[in-house]
Amino acid sequence: LFMKCSAVKSMILCFGIFALIACFFRASLCAEGLVNEDVKRTLDLSSHLAKITAEIQLANHGASRVSGFTLALEAELAPHLAFIGVKGEEEEDESLELKETTVHGQSGKFFEAQLPSSLAPGAKLRVKVETVFSHMLKPFPTHITQAERQLVVFQGNHYLYSPYPTRSQTTRVRLASKTVESYTKLGNPTKSDETVEYGPFKDVPPFSQDAMKIHYENNTPFITISSVTRTIEVSHWGNIAVEETIDLRHTGAFLKGPFSRYDYQRQSDSGISSVKSFKTILPASAQDVYYRDEIGNISTSHLQVLDDSVEVEIRPRFPLFGGWKTHYIIGYNLPSYEYLYNLGDQYALKIRLVDHVYDDQVIDQLTVKLILPEGARNIHVDTPYPITRSQDELHYTYLDTFGRPVLVATKNNLVEQHIQDVVVHYTFNKILMLQEPLLVVGLFYILFFTVIIYVRLDFSITKDPAAEVRMKVASITEQVLTLVNKRLGLYRHMDEVVNRYKQTRDTGALNSGRKTLEAEHRTLSNDISALQARLKAEGSDLAEKVGEIQKLDNQLKDLVCRSCQEAERLVAGKVKKDAYIDSDKTLSGKRQELVSRIDSLLDAL
Amino acid sequence: MHGQELHLDNFKGDFLNIFIFLHPQIPDIQIVPAGWQSLLSFTILFLAWLAGFSSRLFAVIRFESIIHEFDPWFNYRSTHHLTTNGFYEFLNWFDERAWYPLGRIVGGTVYPGLMMTAGLIHYILNLLHVTVHIRDVCVFLAPVFSGLTAISTFLLTRELWNQGAGLLAACFIAIVPGYISRSVAGSFDNEGIAIFALQFTYYLWVKSVKTGSVFWAIGCCLSYFYMVSAWGGYVFIINLIPLHVFVLLLMQRFSRRLYIAYSTFYIVGLVLSMQIPFVGFQPIRTSEHMAAAGVFALLQAYAFLQYLKDRLTRQEFQTLFFLGVSLAAGGVFLTVIYLTYTGEFLFATFNTKPSLPPMLRYAKIHIPIIASVSEHQPTTWVSFFFDLHILVCTFPAGLWFCIKNINDERVFVALYAISAVYFAGVMVRLMLTLTPVVCMLSAIAFSSVFEHYLGDDMKRENPGSVKQHPFYPVKNISVYSKPIVTMLMLMLLMMFAVHCTWVTSNAYSSPSVVLASYNHDGSRNILDDFREAYYWLRQNTDEHARVMSWWDYGYQIAGMANRTTLVDNNTWNNSHIALVGKAMSSNESAAYEIMKSLDVDYVLIIFGGVIGYSGDDINKFLWMVRIAEGEHPKDIRESDYFTPQGEFRVDKAGSPTLLNCLMYKMSYYRFGEMQLDFRTPPGFDRTRNAEIGNKDIRLKHLEEAFTSEHWLVRIYRVKKQENRQALDHKFRNIAAKQKFTSKKVLPSRFH
Repeated sequence: LFMKCSAVKSMILCFGIFALIACFFRASLCAEGLVNEDVKRTLDLSSHLAKITAEIQLANHGASRVSGFTLALEAELAPHLAFIGVKGEEEEDESLELKETTVHGQSGKFFEAQLPSSLAPGAKLRVKVETVFSHMLKPFPTHITQAERQLVVFQGNHYLYSPYPTRSQTTRVRLASKTVESYTKLGNPTKSDETVEYGPFKDVPPFSQDAMKIHYENNTPFITISSVTRTIEVSHWGNIAVEETIDLRHTGAFLKGPFSRYDYQRQSDSGISSVKSFKTILPASAQDVYYRDEIGNISTSHLQVLDDSVEVEIRPRFPLFGGWKTHYIIGYNLPSYEYLYNLGDQYALKIRLVDHVYDDQVIDQLTVKLILPEGARNIHVDTPYPITRSQDELHYTYLDTFGRPVLVATKNNLVEQHIQDVVVHYTFNKILMLQEPLLVVGLFYILFFTVIIYVRLDFSITKDPAAEVRMKVASITEQVLTLVNKRLGLYRHMDEVVNRYKQTRDTGALNSGRKTLEAEHRTLSNDISALQARLKAEGSDLAEKVGEIQKLDNQLKDLVCRSCQEAERLVAGKVKKDAYIDSDKTLSGKRQELVSRIDSLLDAL
Repeated sequence: MHGQELHLDNFKGDFLNIFIFLHPQIPDIQIVPAGWQSLLSFTILFLAWLAGFSSRLFAVIRFESIIHEFDPWFNYRSTHHLTTNGFYEFLNWFDERAWYPLGRIVGGTVYPGLMMTAGLIHYILNLLHVTVHIRDVCVFLAPVFSGLTAISTFLLTRELWNQGAGLLAACFIAIVPGYISRSVAGSFDNEGIAIFALQFTYYLWVKSVKTGSVFWAIGCCLSYFYMVSAWGGYVFIINLIPLHVFVLLLMQRFSRRLYIAYSTFYIVGLVLSMQIPFVGFQPIRTSEHMAAAGVFALLQAYAFLQYLKDRLTRQEFQTLFFLGVSLAAGGVFLTVIYLTYTGEFLFATFNTKPSLPPMLRYAKIHIPIIASVSEHQPTTWVSFFFDLHILVCTFPAGLWFCIKNINDERVFVALYAISAVYFAGVMVRLMLTLTPVVCMLSAIAFSSVFEHYLGDDMKRENPGSVKQHPFYPVKNISVYSKPIVTMLMLMLLMMFAVHCTWVTSNAYSSPSVVLASYNHDGSRNILDDFREAYYWLRQNTDEHARVMSWWDYGYQIAGMANRTTLVDNNTWNNSHIALVGKAMSSNESAAYEIMKSLDVDYVLIIFGGVIGYSGDDINKFLWMVRIAEGEHPKDIRESDYFTPQGEFRVDKAGSPTLLNCLMYKMSYYRFGEMQLDFRTPPGFDRTRNAEIGNKDIRLKHLEEAFTSEHWLVRIYRVKKQENRQALDHKFRNIAAKQKFTSKKVLPSRFH
């Protein structure tokens, strides 16, 4: 009993001390003189996120000007905070800069907001505080069957958690459906359709908390991206490739018992909390979109190109029920002129750090990998919100030699409000663009050069004299063939000349034709004899055949000369036409025979 | 006209002159037509490669770059393992995801050539920073290798006949459906690279027989080694080459070249082939390899006798010959008896995929699992024409040309043709080995005809061509027959090309993992149920969940769902498969006992009743029953599943055993409520065109876990046993006994 007593005593003491400290701080805060004149809170619980907006009218009741104010979050809510932003009343007002601070003696999370212009004593100011919390709605019951509906519980605060006293406040809760199991009844709230309205509460002291609990039906898609890796690869050849590897999970109530496809297909309210598909909005210039996983293309998706965006209807291979997960990769190309800016060698890439996956998205863990071109230096990153940078990496892909710099960054717990641009500045020497084409050219050069070397040079370690001789002989015979054919051509050419002579009776032409024939014939015959000598030197029996050809050719040439003379005589009128025709016939018959003999010899070569 | 000819001649002469003039430094060795010829050959081969490659891409273009069918999924999975874990890890890989609870020693039970090839290509490409995914390497491996096959066929045919025939053969093999059926993009199977290895080995063998050089023989051994590492069909080589040698000996065509070639090939090839873990000591222990050993011994004896013949008199030689022969015969006989007795030598060994057709015949009668595979069925005439088209008619002509002008290597091709025809007749699968030889011989036939009918025109340009074929008298061909015959031949070839493309496009380009159906307006529906269900398994079941299914889907489950399977397409353990078959064909409670004993978590079946897919498990069901009956004749009887009239029916008239067995229940669970259209009653099975007989199916031990969109794949979860009442648990009391010590002392302990 004594022990218990002392425990109680020390507890009381502790409380006392805490109360004192609290009073002190309250006093010090109140000394600022800020008061929440009028607060309108809206709790939007219609999706799987808890979006709490508070429109606050701040009044400076103090004596001095105030340059900033403090925002507070309950300790239970703080770990779930995904986004917080403060704006002025007007839509176009810039959001205020927030800095995290601590307040002694109070649990929770605190932010210090800087006002653009300080607030004079007695002045009033309206601000809008927007907060988004993820995983605040807990499914209850945690396991449901396919036919059941999903119920969730929200636990929060009836009052605005604030370091300042509040004069008057209302709280309005928007739900996802009319069906509400239970809700706390502080101040006799009114409930109509999908909303519950609390308040107005008057003169609420600072840091007041009162547990609000709402248990209601919520069949909106409870999907969470448990991790996403976004890879952005920049090429200076005009393309930016984006690829997102996404792990998706249904974080609603777990499916209990069987999954019946029959019920799912036949009854519209069967599996009402499951997710069949969702829409991902890509940039308007996205091209070559692909959607796949480890085992290939996911054929159940649709792509729609709109004026200002590209919409992909992402349908996982199977409907996602509570607790089910899936994994996929989506990727596309973007033209770089829309995202890459440069001034000389200075480049700036402005691209979304994270992009839209589905409406009201929650990303538990994001990893961004930015792959810059090979040779990018002096890299400097401007992020829209703080993000954890990891060690830079090197990435090697087609035709890379020393690797592309990769910036790696991670961040947890992101929502739609985080879809903002990151700007990366770097320097890149344009000469380096030539490196890859030159590499290809060099490669082909080496390839062809090797082939040339291999074909032209002899790499055999043994000499085969017989084969060499055979090859030599073959080449010589080849030359002989061409020469002989050419010589035969000469005769035919001579015939032409003779015929023309017969018509024109131009002796000069005939003589010159004969002369050229003689000359060319001599050179050709000499060449052939030379080749014949070489054949003999190689010890080939083909030399004899070539000799035979030469002999036949001599006869042939004589015949040609004779026909030429005959023609001359005909023209001179020494022979009659009939006799000439007869002799010409015999001559050409002989010639035909000789030519065919030469041909057969050539064939035998 | 005369003048025109002259002009042409002159022009040609000038042209040649210019050519000679341009290369004055090498006037001796320069052969102008040969240069053109080799450029032309190179171009034709390149185009053949390109045509072969692109005609294999139908599936990729129509669907996607995906691995096809069943076996390729295993090959892909093991290649993936090889590339991620390295070579030694692959060789030592014990796959605990297959054949639960037995597992499979993958490194020792596969032909690793395929995985090595793909892995090596992937490694080299990545070394050069060409970041290709291993899946794409696997998908495109077979089309790339088809080009290499074309080149090796070209080389082989050139050795047998001439360059022209070689080029034709290369073009044929590049597009012939008989080979495409096994080598389309995505069909990542052993055969894809094995046909290249086969043709290349034969080329090197012919080359080594022709030259008698050890260099070519060693090359042949290396190629043979690659073949052994790639495909079980290497047995074909190790029997055909000895057969060739044997027939050459019979034909009195023994030569030193042959002796050198075969001795080198046999010894080095034997040692190399034994390096493959899966082959191991089979080459010296099994009967399939004994022909090679016998011919080796015979060749040695023959050579020895040849040697003696020169040194001994006739009388001495005869005595020695008979003595030697009888001694050798006795020795061989005794050794075989001894080895068979001690079990070292296995006369009839078969695994479930016998490599030699005669064994298959035996196996087919006695082992239902082999008969159940469709590709083990005998070939019909239609499929010969379908796969080879005109070539099947022309190749006997080529064979006749070869036999008419016989020499050492043409003996080889004749034997190749005859044995391949026999094998192809035994089962459809071996159509593949027939295809290359048919291409070569048809090319020879076509080439001869073309030389005959186009030869004279070429005489002027190429005086050598007539000389090469003295058996073709270039006489008595009328002027008109030339263009007519040529046109006819060209038309045949054109029709062949059209047929090849058509067959490839229609018959051999379906991945069979993805199904497609066409609407009336021509638009296409893709039925992706297999991947839907496999991916569901992959994502939403426990990582170590065990999935029971019929063995056909084992590799796909392992590859796509990455889950443990009980049986798969490597059907080495018949009794395990029979146990699964028994579970499928028993009633639910009996099946539950089997599934409990096998730790089954999920059961996967294929059901085509909704969309009319005929390859589903109910249609395969009788094989399950038969295989189960083979091992458990007391529990399962095939006749129980038939109606008294001997029909297999799923409607009300069906046998009660069938209507209550597990497979039936799982297939038709809740199907009785489903009305597909208004003309048919609820529960109408489109595949079998019958209203099912048992519509009120209740499952006690199983529950539906997943059914794909078109009900093609249904997965059931095996429920865990319900908790029993806790028993009073008392520790056992053992009364302490008096200690007993032996008085004897064991002496040996202390010495």
